[in-house]
Amino acid sequence: MLRQAPCVAPATGPRIHTLRLGQWLSFRVRTRSVVVGGILVAAVVVIGMLTISLGALGVAPNDLLRTIFGQGNGTDRIVWGTIRGPRLVVAVAAGAALGIAGTLFQTVTRNPLGSPDVIGLSAGAAAGAAAFGVLWTGILPQPVGALVGASAAMALVYFATGRGFSSPSRMLLVGIGVSAVSLAFVEFVIIRVGREEATVLAGYLAGTLASRSWEHAATIWGALLVLAPFALIVSRRLQLVEMGDEQADTLGARSGRTRLLAVLVSIGLATAAVSVVGPIGFIALTAPQIGRRLTRAPGPGVIVSALTGALLLCLADLLTQQSPVPVQLPVGVLTALLGGVYLGFLLFGQYKKGNI
Amino acid sequence: MNLATAATARHALSGSTPVKRSLSRRAAGLGAILLLLGLTLILSLAVGNKNIALPEVWTALVSPGDGYTQTVVNSRIPRTVLGLLVGASLAVAGALMQGLTRNPLGDPGLFGVNAGAAASVVTVSAFFGVGAAATSVWVALPGAFVAVAVVYLLGAGAGRGSPIRLVLAGVVVTAVLAAWVSALTLSLPGVFDTYRYWAVGTLAGRNPQVIMDVLPFVLVGLVLALALSGSLNALALGDDLAQTLGVKVGRTRLLGALATTLLCAAATAAVGPIGFVGLAVPHVVRSVTGSDHRWLLPYCLLAGPILVLGADVLGRVIVRPAELMVGIITAFVGAPILLLAVRRMKAPQ
Repeated sequence: MLRQAPCVAPATGPRIHTLRLGQWLSFRVRTRSVVVGGILVAAVVVIGMLTISLGALGVAPNDLLRTIFGQGNGTDRIVWGTIRGPRLVVAVAAGAALGIAGTLFQTVTRNPLGSPDVIGLSAGAAAGAAAFGVLWTGILPQPVGALVGASAAMALVYFATGRGFSSPSRMLLVGIGVSAVSLAFVEFVIIRVGREEATVLAGYLAGTLASRSWEHAATIWGALLVLAPFALIVSRRLQLVEMGDEQADTLGARSGRTRLLAVLVSIGLATAAVSVVGPIGFIALTAPQIGRRLTRAPGPGVIVSALTGALLLCLADLLTQQSPVPVQLPVGVLTALLGGVYLGFLLFGQYKKGNI
Repeated sequence: MNLATAATARHALSGSTPVKRSLSRRAAGLGAILLLLGLTLILSLAVGNKNIALPEVWTALVSPGDGYTQTVVNSRIPRTVLGLLVGASLAVAGALMQGLTRNPLGDPGLFGVNAGAAASVVTVSAFFGVGAAATSVWVALPGAFVAVAVVYLLGAGAGRGSPIRLVLAGVVVTAVLAAWVSALTLSLPGVFDTYRYWAVGTLAGRNPQVIMDVLPFVLVGLVLALALSGSLNALALGDDLAQTLGVKVGRTRLLGALATTLLCAAATAAVGPIGFVGLAVPHVVRSVTGSDHRWLLPYCLLAGPILVLGADVLGRVIVRPAELMVGIITAFVGAPILLLAVRRMKAPQ
């Protein structure tokens, strides 16, 4: 899809290096991607430190390391251990997971609107949360309900296409149907219940990082650590698949299997994120686009997208926690705002340069 | 860029190669769909909390009296006309949007129409009092137009714009406006209460004046859309080829965006945001007509109201004596049809 062929003209050859580890492993490394990646990591670290340190409860920057290793004073330990620490750690991993999910999905479907959200993952999660959190309370906790809803939606898409996940265009169209039905159900619940319950539900549906625990952090980091290596492996093959199935097969990329693996990894990561932070919108959609424009790379930059997603979510969370507005808005509202504005800014810049 | 061309090229192929679609076949289909529409219209007048026998509906229509049945039928005429207008507008706008952006995920709300209307309704009810906003067409319409204008400036600027840029610009504006709407509704409970009912979309209880308010927009939009159908066929081949064929790409895209906006904004202002119709109907229709816009658009024009009115009728029946809003039913009715249409699609090579 979003290849910018002129950017990888042979003239830029010297800026692409090959990194070899022994005989079997080799990576092609673009200087610009590495620099951008480094800057993003630094930004995440700085935002993370600010998240912990700012405000009346903040841990002083000097005490930060000691607190993290469990030697701070009482208040600091509570702030890091139960209030802000888990929240930050969850935000980094959830943002990264959504970024990776988005970039894989957009590449497979060759569509900049592609994200697991489009095929009903978030909508299914929302429907599950609405069903078990509001309508039939007491059977399952709301996050588990979201997980069940998301899984059910994906299963429905899988079986309804008749060909599993191997045909992206069918998957998208079927997913839209599943998504629409789930959203209609959510709307039904929202107009059926009282105003208080509806407001709480709407807040949850915007995605939230409030009162996350270390168990949440363990869940999402576990999923990320297991699935991210697959994402890295599959992304290299996806670049070949983008050239067309026949050429990719000739080069040994086995296009069908690659595509299936990419979709599964993407859905797995997004489901993990949704079950931990709720259906936060727009990260999976905007993070890959922003990352691509920062690195000016042609292919799916898994690492850069992950870092962009993490940065977006952490920054949004920092703003939510420190905002002067009396009502604490769900973090999903701010990710949409930040991601949207920044992507718009990038688009405008490229427009002035006459680029696509 | 290659994203959507692949998909549309496939549509183009499945339209012409596997099944030879003759003129008479398509015309017969059009006749059948017209009959179905007539049936839905009559059902929409006859079915409800108080059912009326079909002959009596007919009598009430051709020789108006002042009996009880007459009153009931009259009370159902506005919502039927609204359903007709809204269904036609949304389906045609969807087909237009999918053609313009060469993206099978093209939804009429893609350029921010719904988000703009929602933001406008929410803002007005937040600052000028609840209740004033949700009832007036003239609140939603300007918001929708402003949103699309911003998307177009951001996506196309002075040039002719590429589909991807336009789509991304739509995503950007929608994201920002959605954030604004959530921020307002989540911090002001009163506004949220108005908004949650507006956001579902319903044909019931609308002032008949609404029909006259939006009618000009719908008519201009439909004429514009049908006039563009030839150019859209060329556009499906890609910008460069379309230009070689003598189509003014930038102008087609601008007029197309204008038509979608007129149609979608009018529909949203009249009955609230009804999702899914614009997205699903063109895909279902395409599995019958192929991708020739000269057939696709008229089919959509007739098939859209069938879905909307059919859903509305169903909504009146299933929880009688209460009603379910049409925005909820359309998805439940339309999704299975979409699934069937997708399974009919030829497998991509």
